[in-house]
Amino acid sequence: MRPAAPLWVLLPALVLLPLLALLPGISHGGGWELVGEFAAAALQPSLEPLVVGSVLGGLGVTAGIALLGWAASLALGLVLGIASSRVVWHTCCGNAAPASWIRRLLALPRSIHELLWGLLLLQLVGLQPVVAVVAIAIPFGALVARVVSDLLDALPTANLEALRCGGVAGPAALVTALGPPLLPQVISYSGYRLECALRSATMLGVFGLGGLGTELRLTLQSLAFRELWTGLWLLLAVMLLLEALVGWLRRRWAMPARLGLHRRGVGRQGREILVASLVLLPSLGLVAWQLGIEPAGLLRWQGLPPLGPADWGAVLALPWASLAGSTLLLTLLAAALAVGLAPLMLLVAQPCRPLLALVQGLWALGRLWPPPLTALLLLFVLQPGLVTGALALGFHNLGILGRLLLEAAETSGAPQQQALLAAGAGPRLALLYGRFSSLARPYLAYGAYRSDVILRESVVVGLVGATGLGSQLLESLSSFAGDELLALVLVYAALTLLGEDLSDRARLWLLETPHGDGPPQEAGGAWR
Amino acid sequence: MAPLLVLDNICVRGRSQHRLDRVSLQLEPGERVALLGPSGAGKSTLLAVANGLLAPDQGSVRWQGQPRGRTVRARRRQQARIGTLWQDLRLIEELTVQQNLNAARLAVWGWPRALLNLLLPLETAACAAVLQRLDLDPALLNQPVSALSGGQRQRVALARLLRQDPLLLLADEPLASLDPRLAADLLALLLELASPPRALLLSLHRPDLLAGFDRVVGLRAGLLVFDQAGSSLETSQLEALYAGAERP
Repeated sequence: MRPAAPLWVLLPALVLLPLLALLPGISHGGGWELVGEFAAAALQPSLEPLVVGSVLGGLGVTAGIALLGWAASLALGLVLGIASSRVVWHTCCGNAAPASWIRRLLALPRSIHELLWGLLLLQLVGLQPVVAVVAIAIPFGALVARVVSDLLDALPTANLEALRCGGVAGPAALVTALGPPLLPQVISYSGYRLECALRSATMLGVFGLGGLGTELRLTLQSLAFRELWTGLWLLLAVMLLLEALVGWLRRRWAMPARLGLHRRGVGRQGREILVASLVLLPSLGLVAWQLGIEPAGLLRWQGLPPLGPADWGAVLALPWASLAGSTLLLTLLAAALAVGLAPLMLLVAQPCRPLLALVQGLWALGRLWPPPLTALLLLFVLQPGLVTGALALGFHNLGILGRLLLEAAETSGAPQQQALLAAGAGPRLALLYGRFSSLARPYLAYGAYRSDVILRESVVVGLVGATGLGSQLLESLSSFAGDELLALVLVYAALTLLGEDLSDRARLWLLETPHGDGPPQEAGGAWR
Repeated sequence: MAPLLVLDNICVRGRSQHRLDRVSLQLEPGERVALLGPSGAGKSTLLAVANGLLAPDQGSVRWQGQPRGRTVRARRRQQARIGTLWQDLRLIEELTVQQNLNAARLAVWGWPRALLNLLLPLETAACAAVLQRLDLDPALLNQPVSALSGGQRQRVALARLLRQDPLLLLADEPLASLDPRLAADLLALLLELASPPRALLLSLHRPDLLAGFDRVVGLRAGLLVFDQAGSSLETSQLEALYAGAERP
């Protein structure tokens, strides 16, 4: 008995059963009234000029941080990505070994979540706008570097070899042969990174690094739900606009989609792309000036409270096994919830347009609503702990996976689904059999990658307690326990790298087509 | 006995011109009808109206004397008796042959059986029977479709049609990408499967293969040009039908 492909995508949803069984045990029911008020406030957000003004100001700061962090990560990522590409080193120096050294070095900044970078920098240099920008730029830059080098090394090298044989110098041959196929993939990927940067900038704000997130958290904690919704609706509008813009540009410039089953001709409208990037540069400077970004501020370290002598005995006495175990359990729960629920919801809602719109709205909320805030909201009715953290992380990632799944389901052609419909099958069964069959492998491969992100991200719900390494880290940070912090960051990073390796293996296994019909169905490494 | 399918005055609008323009067509049980016409004449559109994938902008469709179902359920019950052989076959690559054959029963199966079919081999005897009817080895049932050869896939697609047990067989240029011998074999098989009371409506490009058909219908630019017995078709009519178009 081996479940067939369409069932694979539904199986993770089985995690709902134990979760539903656990929920009565951890709910305290004290705050249902508050949740009701929160929901009711959605329909009547505060429109007072003072509130709207402050929300707009916060949104501006968040968007500015996202834009600058994103641009810096792209610049960093491109340079480092080229520097860690085997084919580049091989062509220019005849030896690819340095590429793998740089690649290994980059694993560390990549494995530490932007929140940790932000909090660490905050301790070192105090609160300044540049902290959030750099906190985003470091891990994102290392991630972009990996994607760029993966993309570069996966490109066919026939053209490059032909140029080299013709006596063209290494760098010139690289730019000519690999530049044109690389560029569309990098541009497509960078659009997606901008969406991620906006989410991250909001999330950093929740932890006090400035911008809208700070106001969202303050209004939530002071139960000012109408003011909270003013911020949420505006953030939703900005995020949907950004997603629509990125999607439109991707189609207009014929860039590959992330879960694309069909490769299309890529890279059109070169002049427009050039103009867009020329407009972008001065506007970045303007934004930096508006936000008062001062890179030199990073060098002025503030006096740290005196660190006690390291007590490694106490560090070793931490319950490491249970910390790592809880972190992994949290990750698995959240990942299964997100991966399994998205197709289930699509299946239930798809034939009914209004219901589908509702589900899409819920997903959009999940994407923009930072997980630590969901966790705080859940605390109104649930006890703090691992399940609460998993629900918060799961909801956020459900939004991301759901959108991706719907995008893929709507863009890939559906001849099989049509054939089933023509033979009288119901719309849901036609979707399950006709569409999920071919989507199963790429979707789950993306889910494997997403689980790796969730592992890294689990620190952000540490504030609900008992989530393993994440909550311990936040605790050590606030008690200035430098020795603990160092050990925790290293263990976390090691765990993340292990998780990354595991998810890469799972992804490759999933994308390996059993009967060798064509190359793996994904757009290079741009799903990352 | 009521006609199987009646298309009455069907119009389907396209971007610049009508894809179908006031087309009327009637199919009796057991009839075998060939649909001729150059590319873009509206053959595929006509078949899509017939199998219910496309609702016409004007005109009415009657199935066994009843109007096309108003409720979703009634329409699906009618669609369950209309089987389509697609040019690209539209088999589900990721599933086994047996799961593909059973997918033809989704119109009448509920969710429990549809899900179980993805987990266990269901109704093996019935599936083996349709494979044998098409001279295929029942051992293929457990094979994933992606592991089959081209000829086997064609026959599995036909077996899936039989498994659906339709009263009307529609086929959209099934012979287009086949060499002459395979095309003749497949056509013979289709004509044989369309034994009364089953009817067959098949679109094709090959005026030389009309021998087994009771009637021939010509479409050009969305208009029905002729509808008559195959034996009475004149060469001049064919030439007029394809005039100005690239000959197949």
